[in-house]
Amino acid sequence: MWKKVYEWLDERLGLNDMYTNLLDRPEPKGNWWNTLGSASLFLFVLQGLTGIFLTVYYTPSPDHAYDSVQYIMEGVAFGWLIRGIHHWGATLMVIVVFIHLLRVFITASFKFPRELTWLIGIGLFLATLGMGFTGYLLPWNQKAYWATTVGTQIAGSVPFIGEFILKALRGGPDLSALTLQRFFSAHIWIIPAVLAGLIGVHLFLIIKHGESHFPTKED
Amino acid sequence: MNEETKKKINARYEKELNKGERFWPDSIFKDVVVSLGIFILLVLLASFVGVAPEPKADPSDTSYIPRPEWYFLFLFKFLALYGQIPLLGKIEWLATVLIPGIAVGVLTLLPFIEKSPDRHYAKRALSISVMTIMVVGIILLTLMSEIPTVSADGSKLLGLLQAAAGLAIPGVAMIVLFIASFTGRQTNPRFFIWTTGLTVVSMIIISGMVMNLHTPPAVEETEVANTVVDQIFAGQDLYSVHCTECHGDDGSVAVIEGVEGLEGEKITPINSHDVLYTITDSAMYEVIAYGRPNAGMTPFGKAYGGELSRSEIDYIVTYMRYMWDDRFEIPAEALKPLFPPLAEGEVPSYEVHIQPIVKRYCISCHRAGKENNNYLMTSYEEILTTGDNAANNIIAGDENSYLLQVIQEHAIMNPEKPAEELIGVMPPNRALKPNIVDVFIRWIMNGMPQTAIDAAALFTIPTPEATTTP
Repeated sequence: MWKKVYEWLDERLGLNDMYTNLLDRPEPKGNWWNTLGSASLFLFVLQGLTGIFLTVYYTPSPDHAYDSVQYIMEGVAFGWLIRGIHHWGATLMVIVVFIHLLRVFITASFKFPRELTWLIGIGLFLATLGMGFTGYLLPWNQKAYWATTVGTQIAGSVPFIGEFILKALRGGPDLSALTLQRFFSAHIWIIPAVLAGLIGVHLFLIIKHGESHFPTKED
Repeated sequence: MNEETKKKINARYEKELNKGERFWPDSIFKDVVVSLGIFILLVLLASFVGVAPEPKADPSDTSYIPRPEWYFLFLFKFLALYGQIPLLGKIEWLATVLIPGIAVGVLTLLPFIEKSPDRHYAKRALSISVMTIMVVGIILLTLMSEIPTVSADGSKLLGLLQAAAGLAIPGVAMIVLFIASFTGRQTNPRFFIWTTGLTVVSMIIISGMVMNLHTPPAVEETEVANTVVDQIFAGQDLYSVHCTECHGDDGSVAVIEGVEGLEGEKITPINSHDVLYTITDSAMYEVIAYGRPNAGMTPFGKAYGGELSRSEIDYIVTYMRYMWDDRFEIPAEALKPLFPPLAEGEVPSYEVHIQPIVKRYCISCHRAGKENNNYLMTSYEEILTTGDNAANNIIAGDENSYLLQVIQEHAIMNPEKPAEELIGVMPPNRALKPNIVDVFIRWIMNGMPQTAIDAAALFTIPTPEATTTP
């Protein structure tokens, strides 16, 4: 019975091909440093899932953002756990992605034929920082408000177009409801969409070229 | 890169694949172990460390020291150190835009900058050395981010040391490494290891000195009330300090008494149905924040020159709703008594009994900046030692202590002009309940113990009536 179901699915999906092409691949001898990429992916998925739960109660307006986060922490069953994981996951994701970048740098894995994988990877690193930056404002507490004030000020110090960047980020000269609204939008739609797309290309390239081996005296 | 090198690289990779492992299950197994470890770590962090509570955003609070997210702290510190450089330090965008921009640009274009196909560590000494110094610099700048460049006594030593560890030494080291690698024929990896090692060690030692020299100022703990009960308590304390003077401790005052400048002013009792049913929370917030200049109420919000932050005003509103609005049901825990009732012979202490009472009924006027004969009551020492009549206010074991007299509705007359009141009855508009007066009497008659332990030592078990002896 199960065999029949499997065969039916295999004919239509090509499960056997997937197995040989995706899973049963040869790889160079790896070690624990090779797990950082998959750990980053895991954290991305975890942040996505916990983030979706948070949007159920979170309200992106200066009047209600703080109270809605307070409600998630105190009123919602296991809300504290979901928010706690999301909060610490963000910190850990920045660290893990950065160490992943360092590992690739040290072993020179960015060299031929993996240059494009590196470029996409830098995009992923910057997008991760962007997620952190936009997500930090959302609880609308003192720390968040002033961190974003400073952060956008630094972006505003660019010569000539600084003023424009500052206003585009804040939605006006000062932090306001508009700032919160666009940071929220960037945090849950724009940057995650970019991240997901780049992750897709990144993974495709890794499967295409295989994981690099650790360099020896020969390299 | 020519075709031949590419072929060589591909052939080399084939060789590694042949003596390698399978993606499934070998690599996947390690990936799953690490991901699971991360998940467990996150659950532990969420459960046992949690998310630190923070007060609500308050744009008017200019006293708040802004800090960026932790992973931008190093950039923030870098900016502060860079700003110390004469002349160049004034051109802010060099440090905020140009240098980070170049760093990100180099990192992005790395495969096209470091073009040689060599991958072994010894052949990439320059890249790895520069990156090591940068990463150590980033970590040290992050650790030092809380330390000011000018210490409290005006000494610039800390700033100079920080600049040495965070800017000068790594900067010079990197220049030396670049020059060595491009001009000299210095390709011996040992030279790079030694230079990098010495640089990193000296950076760490100087940063360690900075962190040791700096004594962090005592952190002022901001209280954040998370639960409704905590918010009600916080609101109650704030209400007692800021509102009781005019509105009374239960909000029922209709004609203000005993407040200079507002004597006899008619106001709407703020605990009335009219007020609570017609004014929304946000309108109530605004009345407290802006005040009502026409009716003599000064603004209380920080944005308008008052003392209260946004969260604090929110707490007061919450308190008023739960206490007086009959549509709200007050949580049972919020109704705990102000102080534990006293048993017969028990002596009250400042910590457990007097402090909460004073906070509720006295501090509203008896704090700095109010009309109170200079009698302040915000701490144990102040209660015993301040005031124009400090010598007579509280006398251990003396029923005629001024404080005991005035709270029992006996005004103190001026000894020189017997017709004139020296101190009126306290509190001016409403007598204290007998059980509170009793606490004060017992406290003063037993020598004003400060801590609960001191008070317990004075506890005299009531001697049974002398009926047992024949």
